[in-house]
Amino acid sequence: MQCAEALRVQAYFDGEVDAVTALEVERHAEHCPECRAQLEHLATTRARMRGELEFAAAPPELRARIARLLDDEEARGAKPQRAPRVPLRPRPFWLGALGGVGAALAAALALFFLSPTLTNPLLDDLVTAHVRSLMPEHLTDVVSTDRHTVKPWFAGHADVSPVVVDFADRGYRLVGGRADYFDQQRVAAVVYQHGAHVINVFTWVAGRRALPEFSTRSGYHIACWKVGNLQHCAVSDTGWDELQGLVALLRAAGETDTPH
Amino acid sequence: MPHLDAAYRFARWLCRSSGDADDIVQEAFLRAFRGFEGLRGGDVKAWLLTIVRNCHATAMQQQQRRATVPLPDDHEQALQSADVAASPDPESASAAADERRTLDQLIATLPEEHRQVLLLRELEDLSYREIAAVTQVPIGTVMSRLARARAALRGKWLEAAAGEPRAVR
Repeated sequence: MQCAEALRVQAYFDGEVDAVTALEVERHAEHCPECRAQLEHLATTRARMRGELEFAAAPPELRARIARLLDDEEARGAKPQRAPRVPLRPRPFWLGALGGVGAALAAALALFFLSPTLTNPLLDDLVTAHVRSLMPEHLTDVVSTDRHTVKPWFAGHADVSPVVVDFADRGYRLVGGRADYFDQQRVAAVVYQHGAHVINVFTWVAGRRALPEFSTRSGYHIACWKVGNLQHCAVSDTGWDELQGLVALLRAAGETDTPH
Repeated sequence: MPHLDAAYRFARWLCRSSGDADDIVQEAFLRAFRGFEGLRGGDVKAWLLTIVRNCHATAMQQQQRRATVPLPDDHEQALQSADVAASPDPESASAAADERRTLDQLIATLPEEHRQVLLLRELEDLSYREIAAVTQVPIGTVMSRLARARAALRGKWLEAAAGEPRAVR
């Protein structure tokens, strides 16, 4: 009874597929009422669960008790003991923090968590979207070097309004704009050309998952930054300096960017 | 302490009573502290929730060896009436609580392994890979369990809605 695509549709809904598969699923759902209904069910279930279930926080007493416990543990010198220690490389900074009190453990955990996530599927999505954009006819949906043409175009095609400025005089020529789909939303992609290189700048509403500021995937550099609730990511095969040059310009422009 | 709330929520769902959840979380953080070196990259939240799950499994095994006395039901009822009494608008508070309890109860009737996958996905926002790590099953199993849990939950609430008009959205 169930459509054979059901699991793929679910994976798409959960943000677990790459951009190419996402497109396939979307095209399929257009013609499959069953899968369209499934997508609706999935959204309803999520909305209800996130809206109605109690998001209990740990009671303060428990928090205090655990902090005390870890302090005691630390005081007793019960340092993490595991397997023979064979340091292959310099000790990670966060192990040093274990010499501190329970609070230090918390800090270490927090730092570790905030450090670039090695396996963030979103980063793969970004690279996939960038590479796909380089295929014939995929680079731009709206071709214009005029920001007053590109920016309004996004109003009907993406869920956010990105910063669009032509930096041709600084070596970053505005080529156009495009809409992409990942992280379960319509993402705005502004395309720049720097020398022989194409730089895609993606903008979307930031999710709960933090992205590393700088990372490299499959040889592509990815620079991410957040302004308010908007997540921006620039992806390219240029060098870091060239990519960061554009990021700096965009950040500056973002601060002064007012709707015209 | 990062992820303490997530650990606590997950533990509460695993043991369905706040007292036990406290113990499980405490034990989990202790184990996490001792086993910190065992953490190699990856996501800290998923790693911690894995430990919570293991602590719960151990506690269950120990409990099964002893004779157990189930918690009286009025424990939860007392909690709820306290909730209502403290609210400035008892009627709407109790309606909201009803709704929450309904979904809560429906989820509680799901098989344990389906419930875990569903909660980790929808409430804790873990990826399939992370859920697979926490629940110690292959990703394919995560996907099929998730699909079954979602379908079952939907079936249950349609049923509940048919019997109880207030729960209809």
